Amino acid sequence: MAKARAIIKRLKAVRNVRKITRTMELVATARFKKAMDRATQAAAYTKKMSEIVADLSETLQESGSSISHPLLQQRESEKKSILLVVTSNRGLCGGYNAAVLRHTQQRLRQARADGVTLDVEVSGKRGIGFFKFQKLPTTASYTHFEDRVSFDEVEVLAKRFTEQFISGEIDRLDVAYTRFISMSRQMAVVETLLPIGNPAGAESKSGKTKTAYEFLPSPEQILEEIVPASFKARLFKCFLDAAVSEQISRMVAMKSATENADDMIRVLRAQYNRARQSQITSELSEIIGGAAALE
Amino acid sequence: MTTATGNIGHVTQIIGSTFDAEFDGAHLPAIYNAVKIETEIKGLKIKVTGEVQQHLGGGRVRCVALGSTDGMVRGMDVRDTGSPVTVPVGKGTLGRVFNVLGDPIDGRGDVVHEERWSIHRDPPKLEDLSSKTELFETGIKVIDLLVPFVRGGKAGLFGGAGLGKTVILTELIARIAAAHGGYSVFAGVGERTREGNDLWLEMQEAEIGDTGRHVIEQTAMVFGQMNEPPGARLRVALTALTMAEWFRDATGADTLLFVDNIFRFSQAGAEVSALLGRMPSAVGYQPTLGTELGALQERITSTNRGAITSVQAVYVPADDPTDPAPATAFAHLDAFLYLERRIAEKGLYPAIDPLSSSSRILDPLVVGERHYKIARRVQQILQRYRELQDIIAILGIDELSEEDKLVVHRARRIERFLSQPFLVAEAFTGKKGKITSREETIESFEELCDGKWDHLPEGAFLYVGGIKEAAEQAERMAKA
Repeated sequence: MAKARAIIKRLKAVRNVRKITRTMELVATARFKKAMDRATQAAAYTKKMSEIVADLSETLQESGSSISHPLLQQRESEKKSILLVVTSNRGLCGGYNAAVLRHTQQRLRQARADGVTLDVEVSGKRGIGFFKFQKLPTTASYTHFEDRVSFDEVEVLAKRFTEQFISGEIDRLDVAYTRFISMSRQMAVVETLLPIGNPAGAESKSGKTKTAYEFLPSPEQILEEIVPASFKARLFKCFLDAAVSEQISRMVAMKSATENADDMIRVLRAQYNRARQSQITSELSEIIGGAAALE
Repeated sequence: MTTATGNIGHVTQIIGSTFDAEFDGAHLPAIYNAVKIETEIKGLKIKVTGEVQQHLGGGRVRCVALGSTDGMVRGMDVRDTGSPVTVPVGKGTLGRVFNVLGDPIDGRGDVVHEERWSIHRDPPKLEDLSSKTELFETGIKVIDLLVPFVRGGKAGLFGGAGLGKTVILTELIARIAAAHGGYSVFAGVGERTREGNDLWLEMQEAEIGDTGRHVIEQTAMVFGQMNEPPGARLRVALTALTMAEWFRDATGADTLLFVDNIFRFSQAGAEVSALLGRMPSAVGYQPTLGTELGALQERITSTNRGAITSVQAVYVPADDPTDPAPATAFAHLDAFLYLERRIAEKGLYPAIDPLSSSSRILDPLVVGERHYKIARRVQQILQRYRELQDIIAILGIDELSEEDKLVVHRARRIERFLSQPFLVAEAFTGKKGKITSREETIESFEELCDGKWDHLPEGAFLYVGGIKEAAEQAERMAKA
């Protein structure tokens, strides 16, 4: 009986796990829809903003004007930079965090090789736990960015980064996060947000006929307004992308986990039935054998 | 109550491998006495030896045949030999191959011997038992680290079908007997005849150290293999043991006794048990399972005069170690190696399960504090890995905490590092057998547990000796 009982115990445990993973899958599906809507809405706005900034700076450069914005300027030498790592607060989302952290480590190695001081700021308990375990220093950690990130929360961060960059405290800002490309494709990336370069997909405009811009009241004032706004939008977009990607990976991971649990339950059931049957058989044969021997 | 030779009875009943004989009521052969039938029927010579097991009353005795009962008929003359089966003992047995009756079967003529001993003997007295506990090094990493053998003790190799029990046993013979100065006795009980032949030929080729002498010159072999009737398989272990006892008692030398396979002894007992009219007990085994095995195992001991170190293979039916036969054998052993199918399925040999195997002397007082601690650490890591396996199977490795990921990472390396190329398997693996000293083994595993070798790929740990060889293998892999 010992064997059959041990199997039953495992079977129960696996069934419980399956219940959890199945629920998580459903929850992730529901959350994913909302996050997805927010991300796609923000995507159009962010893209347009980036295009305008790119167009404007290009137009200004071509017209030979010396007017520019500090956030757009590439620094010649890079001494200090910040890496913002966006991970999730919760686990059970497959390789989502592992992929971001893998890219983070690459960036860390590269920075060490280049001799750049790299301050790491981590968002999400998973990432914080990772850095603690690896005994790597972090300068700041946040756990309040959940799957419904508000713009206000991100703006606080964005403002601080902008100030630090303009004052020359840092020369570069990278964000390690998971970019949402499509339902079936998300990619962990390390993206440079400051200085503002041409983000992927934004340079498509340059091939087309240029719009002749008239600046009112002045190019400086417009840049002053639009460049920080674009940066904020892009940072916000990072968090939104991360939130969608997290839900998608959770959905996928939980779906396969549920399937794996199903397989395991099937195997254990068969094992249990066999153990039980063989036990019955041996007990029967013992009784019959015993009875026959007594005759 | 011994009876004179020339005490003749008649066969009254033959059931399978047992037969009944009727004697003069006043001259019954004693229990365990050997009785002989030697006649000729229609030109067919019949020569069967039986062993008296029961007195049925009315002058009838029930015997187990130690040979085939083919051609036997009722009414045949049965002669009481007046004593149990005796076998030749002494140095003359070295280099020879015997059957259960002590007759040579290697076709090299008669055995020169001064004495014949009865195969039924009393176990050594309590006061004569040796109390020494000393480690016995084998050069096999997993054994030396986690299941150290006892010099003068008993080790059992438990495993289901096809997990490599016989391979490990022959490996141990190659390692121990070849480096060993004393005598060895090999008992083939109910296993494949071919394996016995292979072993015999191998022993003729293998040399002891660099003395230029062959292992066979220091070895006596006794076979009662699968083709023999149950009576032969039931007694062949005793025949071998009796020869080993002579070496222990008469020469005082360290003696090795290898038995492959002790389960067949229990099985043969079960086969004749019902024919003898006993009621079957749990799982159909004989009710006297414990007594029978105890009578055999208690004789395999070390005394103040000499030591018998024994290694026994134990077949585990249906991979179920709770089966009465292996469970009974388990209690008699000092070191217990359990071969696990899951490990063999991964292609890791020897497939010794590091968690279910155990040894009486894995104790800081015997093996030393350092050895003990490292062995426990290795087991802890592997235990944790096993616990995590269900989680990994369902959720994937990414869901583990960083600590657990590290444990899994190391456990997978340790698991592979526990494999080792065998001397006797050189022809199959294409790798030279490796002998790793205990010191090197401990050092290697200590470094492995400390995470000094985390950077090597898993494949580098497969089939190497010490940890340095793993590093070399990693380099070779990187180049290729």
